[in-house]
This record gives sequence, C-alpha cells and structure tokens, in this order.
Amino acid sequence: MFRVMRSSPRFSSVYQAVSAAVIWFLILAWAASAGAGITANVKTETLPNGLKVLVLENHKAPVATLSVFYKVGSRNEQVGKTGISHLCEHLMFRGTKTLGPEQFSKIIQENGGTDNAFTTADFTDYFEIINARNLDVPIKLEADRMANFDPKGFKAEKAVVMEERRLRTEDNPEDALYEITKAQAYVEYPYHWPVIGWMNDIRHLTLKDALAYHAMYYSPRNSIVVAVGDFNAAEVLKEISEAFGSIKNGPEAPPFTQTEQEQKGERRVMLEHAANLPAFDISYHVPNLRSPDAYAIEIAGEVLGDGKSSRLYRDLVTNKQMVVDVNVDYDMTSFGPPLFTVSAQMRPGIKAKDVIAEVEKQLAELRDKPVSAEELRKSKNLEQAEFVFGEDSIFQQAMLLGVYQMLGDYRMVDQYIPNIDKVTVADVQRVARRYFVKSNRTVGILVPTGLLPHEAAGGKQGMVR
Amino acid sequence: MKSRTNLLVAALAALLFATLTAAAGNADALTIKRMTLQNGAVLLVSPQHQLPMLTIDIAFDAGARRDPRGEAGLASLTARCLTLGTKTLTPEQFNQKVDFMGSSVSVGAGRDYAVASLTTLKKYEDQTLNLLAEALTEPRLDDKDILRKRGEQVAGIKSSLEDPGYVASVTFAKKLFDDGPYGNPIDGTVESVQKLTPADVRAFYKDHYKMGDAVIAVAGDVSPEEIKAKLDKAFASLKGTVPPQAAPEPPKVAPGIHLALVNRNVAQANIIMGFGGIARSNPDFYRLQVMNYVLGGGGFASRLMQTVRTRAGLAYSVYSGFDASKFAGPFGVVLQTKNRSADQAIRLVLQQLNEMREKPMTDKELAAAKKFLIGSFPLKFDRLSSIANFMLQVELNKLGLNYADEYPKLIDAITTQQTLEVAKKYLHPDAIIVVVVANQQKAAVKLANLEK
Repeated sequence: MFRVMRSSPRFSSVYQAVSAAVIWFLILAWAASAGAGITANVKTETLPNGLKVLVLENHKAPVATLSVFYKVGSRNEQVGKTGISHLCEHLMFRGTKTLGPEQFSKIIQENGGTDNAFTTADFTDYFEIINARNLDVPIKLEADRMANFDPKGFKAEKAVVMEERRLRTEDNPEDALYEITKAQAYVEYPYHWPVIGWMNDIRHLTLKDALAYHAMYYSPRNSIVVAVGDFNAAEVLKEISEAFGSIKNGPEAPPFTQTEQEQKGERRVMLEHAANLPAFDISYHVPNLRSPDAYAIEIAGEVLGDGKSSRLYRDLVTNKQMVVDVNVDYDMTSFGPPLFTVSAQMRPGIKAKDVIAEVEKQLAELRDKPVSAEELRKSKNLEQAEFVFGEDSIFQQAMLLGVYQMLGDYRMVDQYIPNIDKVTVADVQRVARRYFVKSNRTVGILVPTGLLPHEAAGGKQGMVR
Repeated sequence: MKSRTNLLVAALAALLFATLTAAAGNADALTIKRMTLQNGAVLLVSPQHQLPMLTIDIAFDAGARRDPRGEAGLASLTARCLTLGTKTLTPEQFNQKVDFMGSSVSVGAGRDYAVASLTTLKKYEDQTLNLLAEALTEPRLDDKDILRKRGEQVAGIKSSLEDPGYVASVTFAKKLFDDGPYGNPIDGTVESVQKLTPADVRAFYKDHYKMGDAVIAVAGDVSPEEIKAKLDKAFASLKGTVPPQAAPEPPKVAPGIHLALVNRNVAQANIIMGFGGIARSNPDFYRLQVMNYVLGGGGFASRLMQTVRTRAGLAYSVYSGFDASKFAGPFGVVLQTKNRSADQAIRLVLQQLNEMREKPMTDKELAAAKKFLIGSFPLKFDRLSSIANFMLQVELNKLGLNYADEYPKLIDAITTQQTLEVAKKYLHPDAIIVVVVANQQKAAVKLANLEK
C-alpha cells in the first residue's frame, strides 16, 4: 500500500535522495510485508554494555550495509525542546573528538560508499552502503561518534535545520497539512509534534541540550547495530564487538509512559496555505502490531488504496475523476498508536468536502458488507509480492531487522506473512466497524490561498525582470 | 497525494544517479548477454537467480524531446495512456489482472526516452509479460480514457506549480532552451496539454513505439535464450524504426548575469543558476564528472556543500550537475535558502564557479573524487531495477559491454590540469541564467549586488 515518508533525512539531494526518500518509502512497504524464513540465518550477540548486534550474510552483490539504530525519536522529546532528536542526528556529522565537521561522509565516500541518516518519531538510524571489502571503515566511524560525540559549528547546523523545515514543511502544502492534522489527532501522545520540531523550539535549542541528549540516549544499551551483505558473518560480528564493546553507557533515560486517550468525537482542522488546489487528510486512530487487529487493518488498507484496481482509486480517480491520486497510509511498526490516513489533493474545481463524503461512502461499504474473496486474495498476493521485491535490497533487509528488533524481537518478521494469511473477510469488516467511524477521525482540510504573496495579490503574476 | 517532481532537480538527480550507476569497477559483479530480437530491438539480459522475480525495462525513442512544437506533454500523455487497457481488456480488467498477481506494469516518458517496465514474481512471468506486450502492441486508446488522463495531467501540472522548485526548473529550462526539445516541461504546460486530442495521442503512439530501435533490459530469474524467445513472440508485430531527430543547436547564454525573478508566497528562495552543458557523447564527460564531483556533485565532499551549507548554514540542499543527455543538456546549481539570504547564496555560488576556473583542484580533492567514483561502482548493482537501468544506459549511450572495466581506467587517467581545462571551457559564471522563485519583496535580489 502507499506510504508517505514521515521521517526527516539529513540530506536529500542527488543520489542520497534516493537512499533517503525513495528507499524509506520502499522499506516501509517491505517492513510491513515480510515473510517466513529470512531470520533463520541472522547471527546475533548482546555485548556486555547492552548493545545488540544482528548480522546477516547476503552474497547477491559485492556490497554491504551497516545500520546503527538508536531507540530515540521525536516522541522522546519534551515540550519546548521539540526537534532535538533530529538536530542531534545532524550534529552527529559535525565531528567527534578526533574528526572535523563532515569528515565522516568524506571518508565513507572515499571508501566507495554513501551514507545518510534519518529521524522518525520513534527512532534514529545512521547507515552506510559500501563496497563490502571496506565495511570495517563505517564500523569504526560509527563507534567513534557513539563514544566521542563532539560537534563543531552548532549555530550553522541549526540554521541548516531551519532551512530544512522551510523546504520540507513551510513551503510544502501537503506536509504542512499533515503536521497540523496530526497535532489535532494526538492530544496526549508526543506524536503531537512534528519530527523536525516547531520552528521556535528549534531556534532556542542549545549545544548543551544536544550534548545532554546524546549522553542519555546514544548509549550502547539503547542501540542496535545491523550489518547485511557480502561478508563472513562471524568476522563482521567480531569487528563490531571489538569496535563497540568498550563504549560506556550514559545516564539512564526516563521511562516512556505516555498514552493517547480515546477519541470521542470528530475533530476538524483547517489550514489556509499558499496553494492552488484543496487537499485533505482523514486520520483514524488504530492499533500497531501489538494488536491482532493490525493485520486486518493492513488488508483493509490494501483493499482501499493499493493499486489501480483498489476501491478508492477506482471510485475517485477513474470513475468520478475527482482526484489525480489517493493515498492510504498505515504503519503497523509504529512504536506508539499509529494513524490510518486517507489523503488526496483535489482536481481543479472539485471541493474537498465532496471527496471526503465519497471516501466516507467507501468506508461505510467496508463496514456494511464483507469484501469479496477475490479482493482478499488479491490483497494477500500484493503483500507477498511486495515481500519478495523487498528482499532485493540489503538496505531494506537491515532496516526490517532493526525495526523489528526495536519492537522487541527481529524474529517477529517471520510471523508477518502467516499473520496476513490468517486474515478473513469477517476480520476486515470487524476492524472497519471498530475503527473507521466518524467519532474516531480527524479531518484536516487545506484551503488554498493562491501562490502570490499577500501583498502582491492581484498584482502582476509570473516573471519579473 | 501525488509527490511533486521538480524537473530540473529530478533531471540532475537522475543524471548524477545515472552517472554514478555507470561508475567504475568490478565487471565480475555483472554478467550481461547482448542479443538482437527479430524485430531489431537490442536485448540485454543479466540473469540473477537469488530471488524468484524479474524486472524488464524497454526504452523507446518516445521521450518528451519528440514532442511536436506547440504540443508539449504529448509524449508523456501517450505513455500514461498505454496502460489503459488493450483491444481485449478494459482498463478496469487490465488493472485487476496486474494487481491480482502483485505485479507492476508501467509506461512513463522521460526527457529522452519513454520506458515501459514490469516487475513480477517468477511464477507470473508469462502473464505479466503478455499484459505489457498487449498494452504496447494493441493499446485500447479509447477517447474517454485519453481525455481522463489528459485531465489528470493538467491537474498534476497545477499541483506541481505549487512547488517553487518545479517553477524554478521550468523557468530555467525555458530561458535556456526556449522552444527546443529540452525547453518545455516533460508533462507540458496547462495550455499545451489542454489542446492535445485523442487523435494526437494515437498518432504519437503509432509513430514512436517501434521495436526497431528499442532497447530491452532484463534482470532477474531468467535464462537469456528463453526470455529472448518470449520477447520475439510477444513483440513480433511492433516493427520499424523512428526517423532520427536532428540535434538542436547547443544553447548559448549571452555575457552577463540574466536574472529571472518569479514572485511566490514562500519562505525560501528557490534558486537555479546555470547555462548550457554537454551531450552524453561528449568525450569531456568523464573529466566533467570528476570536476563536478568536487564542485557540487559530491555531496558533503563538494565545495558548494561545504561553503553554502556546512560553513554558512544557508541551505539544506545545494548541488550542481551536468545533465548529459542525448543532446546537450543544462548545467545547473540548485539550492534553496530563506528569502533574505538569496543574494548572499548566489554570490557564494558565483565565487565557487570562478574559483573552479581559476586554479586547479588539489591532488587530494582529485584523489577523493576518483576513489568515490571508482570504488562505489558495485553499489549500483545491488538491485534488479538498478541493474536493468545500468544496462539501458550502456546500450543507449553506446558505452560498450566492457564499460564496467573501462570506466576505472577513464577516471584514473584524469589529471588536475584536465579538470581545470574543462572548468574553464564549460563553466560560465560570467554568462549565466539565475532563476529566483521567492517572495521578491523579502528577497530583494539586485543585479548590482551580484556583480560585485
């Protein structure tokens, strides 16, 4: 099914955009569609300092990937300090006790690799994809910045992050709408604020904040190191143990205790924004994979929004021609309570409220009538194909293992396809009735205000020389 | 929601990705078999048996550069319409079949070529291939479906126009190439697309989807002989070739800084600065690749990133690239910065362009560029889709099946003196187009400030 990138990679242009945006999109598709068997060959070890290591040989191509996960994201932040997780991710490239700013990436590139990192609401991931014979280089460098974080040029990096927020959110209507819709949907849970943080919070973050944050959360016991690729697993396990084994833990992080209250009544939010076309997000609170309902919700998402034969695409794009595309987004691997979101941008002349009413009709159909056996089969086939396609990338394999390990155990991956296969038409109808109801939804509507600055509205448009 | 594409950004990214894809090295990583189909198409096959799946890409000489004058967007619209059913299947039935197998079947037009693709599990190889073949040889092309796609394309353009980066790239291409084959957006403009008719689409299909000069790349769980037999049978009817297209005059920018300002309600100035570049066939390609890696193509290792982002904190993203296409494409530097620092960022870029022309890069910079370009080669083969793309590039650009072995030699031979020569020859900070999409009152970009 369609998934929208909600993470914030540190760098996104040129080839690295491919590793950040596109790959992240693919991974989640895969993360949600793994099947039996792939974890049998994973070698694992827990070092005395608590760091967990997962290693998997894959000899498809002479490449390897290293991925270091820290179990910290924007949901661990405090009011007034939002954005510190993401800023800390940026600062990880700004040097250590022995490395200057941005030396990290230069060394990786000189060894025939690329690197990047991204922050989500739940975790932070640093990764390299590299010529397999040089995997020792990122292993040593990642251990160094876990142990010897010493960023230089704090002010410049903060300015970069503020530019990133302008680019990604303020000048991007769909992201701006998602941000404000999410802030309405979550009252208590810290998914309330954006991963990148509120602009004013970013402005007031200090180097001291970042150092304290790193000391607490970038401890070995809070991290997982995953390597996948064309190497000898025992050797790589040994290299990782040697590089990370002596790193000391910092102060204990406070326990995470937040929950989200049950939503009792529809919420609506309007955003007036520079744009041509109206858009909407309809978000329902749903459980993550800790609930057996997750698999039926996943199938419901497939039926509604995966492929051109899906119900929403057929109805809204092909038949009624109200929108150019429609997205359905659900991530069951979310650590906290996720949203099930249907979003679309209207075609010119179409009103958001009319399309929202159509979406509601489709959801009512899902509540009132069981899906056909053929639709159920099609959805399961799509999940299985996506699983095999996902195995084509070592980066995605590492991502999957890391995410499931952070959720408790990488071996849960093997349960995914069997659990999808168990879903019945009755299950799909049951979850639709339980979750896709009006009182559980938050509707965000983007009201376009045109593209010209307000002071220039009505003035001359287009090119000025 | 549809994700927005910034044409130039996408083009530059594609270029750099493509050139990285083409980068250097271990030929043993990849076995390619090259054959010719009965209809004349060149077939490249890389058998990969690790997973029960395969990917097929077919490149047709049907990209946007083939759009007739005044009909920008026709190649793109035609490509979109080709998966709307066949003579025997309605669009609905077609989609249903594809989705039921979990396969993907698509056709999309790029600047130079249109590429038809499929990805499927091995067990659905024949059915999926037959659907793609039917779509390409006997497309339905019903009026009402074409008109619906036309409406979608117009809506997509209106949506893209909300993206200041897209507006900057469209403005830049127009200024540089005017009405030439690279002058208009791939999807066309609202005005040009609204005028396209179903008859235009059917004619474009008939004239440009010819197997005689198509290139087919297959990567995955196949045997070369078997897949060749299947393709011969499936595409027997699609014969003939597309008449060659004359190369346009390479773009020329007159001396001076040519500002193009577009006013928008945005927080950031979206800036593209550049001039004419090179065709992929230009032998200076490799020297320029090394030079540009150091200038702005090498991510955090590049000078533009170091000055504009790391030191000045002015931008999240800044990069440069030559879009080396079939014909001479653009060179561009792309960045975004808050409105009021637009002037400052443009000046920094101009300084870097000048510096690149004035003195040779250091030996250390040269060595770092070579190490990356050569050493990262195997990364480009870690997926079937990238292997297929690599094979297309090799054939379309006539790089030779031994390209993987040749590339490291070509790169390794380059000297700092040569990178200086190509910088002098191809970088023109004194004859440059500067597009700024911004809140102009806040940005207040002035020519006098840039010429200092």
